[in-house]
Amino acid sequence: MRKLLMATTILAGLTGAAFADGHEVKMGVILGFTGPIESLTPNMAAAAELAMKEASDSGKLLDGKTIVPVRGDSTCTDAAAATTAAEKLVTADNVVAIYGADCSGVTTAIVNSVAVPNGVVSISPSATSPALTTIEDNGFFFRTAPSDARQGQVLADVLKDRGITNVAVTFTNNDYGKGLADSFQAAFEAVGGKVAISAAHEDGKADYSAEVGALAAAGAEHLAVFGYVDQGGKGIIQTSLDTGAFSKFILADGMIGESLIEAIGADLNGTIGTLPGSESQGAATFQDVAKAGGLEKVDGPYMPESYDAAALVILAMQKAGSTDRKAIADNIMAVANAPGEKIMPGQLAKALEMIAAGQDVDYEGASNVTFTEVGEATGSFKELEVKDGKFETISIR
Amino acid sequence: MDVLNAITLFANFVFVPGLAYGAQLALGALGITLIYSILRFANFAHGDQMAFGTMVVILLTWWFQSLGVSLGPLPTALLALPLGMAALALYALAADKFVYRHYREIKAPPIRLVMASVGVMFVTNGLVRVIIGPDDQAFMDGERFIVRAGNFRRAMGLNEGLAIKSSQALTVVIAIALVVALFWFLNRTRTGKSMRAFSDNEDLALLSGISPQKVVTVTWIIAAALMTIAGTLYGLDKSFKPFTYFQLLLPMFAAAIVGGVGNPVGAILGGFVVAFSEVTITYAYKKFLTYLVPESLAPEGLMQLLSTDYKFAVSFIILVVVLLVRPTGLMRGKVI
Amino acid sequence: MSATTSNPSAGSDSQTMRAVLGFAAFGALLALVGFLQSWNVMLAIFNLCLISAVMALGVNIQWGYAGLFNVGIMGFAALGGVAAVLTSTAPVASAWQAGGLGILASGAVTLGVIALAVIAYRKLASGPLKTLVMLVVIIGGYFVIREVYDPAVAAIEADNPAQSGFLGGLGMPIMLSWAVGGVLAAAAAWLIGKVALGLRSDYLAIATLGISEIIIAMIKNEDWLTRGVKNVTGLDRPVPYEIDLQGAPWFTQLATDRGFDLVEGSSIFVKLAYAALFSSVLIAVLALCVLALASPWGRMVRAIRDNEVSAAAMGKNVTARHLQIFVLGSAVVGIAGAMLTTLDGQFTPGSYQPLRFTFLIWVMVIVGGSGNNLGSVLGAFFIWFIWIEAEIVGNWLMANATQFLEEGSALRTHLIDSAQHMRLFTMGIIMLLVMRFSPGGLLPERTASR
Repeated sequence: MRKLLMATTILAGLTGAAFADGHEVKMGVILGFTGPIESLTPNMAAAAELAMKEASDSGKLLDGKTIVPVRGDSTCTDAAAATTAAEKLVTADNVVAIYGADCSGVTTAIVNSVAVPNGVVSISPSATSPALTTIEDNGFFFRTAPSDARQGQVLADVLKDRGITNVAVTFTNNDYGKGLADSFQAAFEAVGGKVAISAAHEDGKADYSAEVGALAAAGAEHLAVFGYVDQGGKGIIQTSLDTGAFSKFILADGMIGESLIEAIGADLNGTIGTLPGSESQGAATFQDVAKAGGLEKVDGPYMPESYDAAALVILAMQKAGSTDRKAIADNIMAVANAPGEKIMPGQLAKALEMIAAGQDVDYEGASNVTFTEVGEATGSFKELEVKDGKFETISIR
Repeated sequence: MDVLNAITLFANFVFVPGLAYGAQLALGALGITLIYSILRFANFAHGDQMAFGTMVVILLTWWFQSLGVSLGPLPTALLALPLGMAALALYALAADKFVYRHYREIKAPPIRLVMASVGVMFVTNGLVRVIIGPDDQAFMDGERFIVRAGNFRRAMGLNEGLAIKSSQALTVVIAIALVVALFWFLNRTRTGKSMRAFSDNEDLALLSGISPQKVVTVTWIIAAALMTIAGTLYGLDKSFKPFTYFQLLLPMFAAAIVGGVGNPVGAILGGFVVAFSEVTITYAYKKFLTYLVPESLAPEGLMQLLSTDYKFAVSFIILVVVLLVRPTGLMRGKVI
Repeated sequence: MSATTSNPSAGSDSQTMRAVLGFAAFGALLALVGFLQSWNVMLAIFNLCLISAVMALGVNIQWGYAGLFNVGIMGFAALGGVAAVLTSTAPVASAWQAGGLGILASGAVTLGVIALAVIAYRKLASGPLKTLVMLVVIIGGYFVIREVYDPAVAAIEADNPAQSGFLGGLGMPIMLSWAVGGVLAAAAAWLIGKVALGLRSDYLAIATLGISEIIIAMIKNEDWLTRGVKNVTGLDRPVPYEIDLQGAPWFTQLATDRGFDLVEGSSIFVKLAYAALFSSVLIAVLALCVLALASPWGRMVRAIRDNEVSAAAMGKNVTARHLQIFVLGSAVVGIAGAMLTTLDGQFTPGSYQPLRFTFLIWVMVIVGGSGNNLGSVLGAFFIWFIWIEAEIVGNWLMANATQFLEEGSALRTHLIDSAQHMRLFTMGIIMLLVMRFSPGGLLPERTASR
């Protein structure tokens, strides 16, 4: 069904907006449907599209408008391809806002080259590079995921509390991996830890024995892997176990996924990691909403953030009282933060009604949304540990 | 005691992986050198053809696995190997018929053939991705290890473990068997001798009644066998991903040229030279030295000559040095 | 080469006709995109067509004029991107303070080691002593360089790593980087040409394949230079920003007078400005190429290409000519690379892929007509257009072709997913077919002087 939808929307793009009657509002969904996190993106898109469907079905959005998602492929890595895809969404499909992109590099590219120049809001569920905090976005960029500067800090605290003082770090050789490794190292050294070695690995290599050899030579017992679950990160862990170089791992958000446990198995028990998210009422409610909405998976990484990103655009649209791109951007902060009544996942209809009646709302959503001044989530993180072949939440930080 | 630890460490991270990787490169370089000396062009499609052969092996392996067929402790892929070789041979012969033969017939300059091989590379690359997709595929089954790091450590009472994967042992054994067979074929059989004659002097070979078409056909069949085996062993030992096979081109070319293009012994030597250089130059010797020297002299830094980021640059540097100092290669291949 | 034999003047006329028809057909395609999709998309495609054309011209100089097979186009294009960063970003004073001196010192040491090695190579008689001295100088020198270089790099990269962490550039206008990109690419080409030219013709291909991968690896890992994989975004622009245009009184006035949408208009205006800049570069390079090919120098290089042995016998220095052409062609690719980074407004080393930057350009040159400058331009236009639009059409075709399969069936999903890989396959087939059945390409090389 998803593929068919994609094919038909592409077809619609080719022949010009054939079925754009006055009741439909288009929203761009730009994620890396191909590339290093392609196993995560279908679930993320489904979560965002769930929020759109919820609002459309309520019939309360701007007097009965429906939202039509239009997908584009960010590839996660190729900035030129991502900007072309975004350009097409904005200029040919005339979307009112962009949900996405996913990876930090392409997100920066889209914000700089498409979102800001065309005055379209772009709201990312998963771009976590610290550099995006200070991007000159003229108020057109938001993210429901917290910055990696924060994740580095949380990871450092987790290790300190567990009494781990010496780690080897390997990161995927891109802006996400490098940025996180930098912020983690700074935070870890500030709490008295020692990073024995910090070395990059390239994704998509068949063989990581040289990288693991160098990491092992540094003499730390724990290996922190800041990479992607479907990519080199998995290879690093496999090679480490095969050669007996490391048996204790620390994972960041990009590495958290069921596919890792499926691939590695019991050797992964005892691994610790962090992932943006919370055990709040919102997170639990979201899983119920997602189940009721018929999603295949309800607890995938970045699914809550995705739902929230789409929901924020929808509420801002209602608050603005129009589908004007600038007006949507201007109203996002107002619906995301206090004052107002707290809104949970699945309550979009209620929120739309309240806004229409002129009342304030404070969208909490699935991930406890509170934006900082520059429009990014302050963010809470789950501390995870693999026990009996499952990621279990130990605490919330 | 500490010397033993140091040796184990070195064997585990440098010697064993280097040996397996060297054997894989040697088989690849052997194919390149064979095509080069008989068909007279540098085959840029080599890596992607390896991927094609390996892909067929993988698909058949999955099929066998679904039927419940297995080789016990050995990977099922070995069972599929002959069929993969046959499929790639057919593919290579088709490519020869539709692409390369024309350029041979019009006696085009070699660089035209190189370009044609780039075209074949593109097509093969696309085919592989359409059929099996661009992602990692795992197809290793059977017993993964001969020696496990943990067991070795406990059994020997050492700090360091030594892991020997069955895929590594398999690679070395198969590579040796294959090389012996190939040399026997080239030196002892009639067809092999006519191939060598053809490679030495095409005109003379034609005059003495050697059928060029037969030589070309046999060359492609042998090259296809080498490619499929090299690709499958590499995939079993590491993992299969179409793009990494394309990236193997550079080390394989380097191995062939370093050894002396057109010289089979050179290709094997080149494979091991490139592989061991890559591994030894990028290995961090800190722990190794710490075992060997008194504590007071233990190194602070990582003692790494070159960061692993530049691993594949090593093959290029060796290539450049050889081109500068001894363009004919270590074993004196032929240079026109 | 044989297509225009019977009647030179008629052949030349039909050549011109082919060129006119070709460009007219391309214009019609663009117009179709403009009407069906949007003029913004059309201009975005067109701008990349222009840059591709400059790149293809550079490759055509090497292949068409001298038969040099360069498989490292990606590396030279990336050097253009480096030039864009180094020229236009503002210098980072604190980073210079932290490690600038160390970097300069390690540069000086490197030069010293190279000089020592060269002296040893020239002065010492061949033998074991020479080998030993050379080894000591090079290996010892390497450790000395690392001793100076490593702490400097660490200091620079530790300086505000999230936002900066590199030395920055010269803070000059980015247009200047187009020339700088040409120079950087030319320097790299000179080095590689010195090593590989004069040996077998396919050694150059292998060497360029290697150097391009290494250039990318260095750009990715030497963070102190261009921030590596952390990317440099928000590069300077030679044209105004859309958002400024939307606030500029003269432009808003224009929009109301002409009755176009302000936002869309500003975006189109910016793209038009880029198109004007790129077109002027393309026309300048094209004019120089045409003039050069018609000059005595052009006749000489073609004579060398067609028969190296007899040209050498006539006293022409073949290797020197090849080096010259290789350097010139690579410089043009470098210029195009800088233009591409300028258009993107960012430098992202992760996006340099050999299939996109090397082999695609090759298809352009072969399809366009190797040896014919105008042909390369036309080939670049068409191939880029196909490359961009093929995915959309491919998806659509796959979706329709699989209609008969059950919805959600594994095979169908697989086929639709793999539509994007079909374009590699298609490009390969196009390349092989053109090489085989129409070696001259769209516009075969002119042999008018005969």
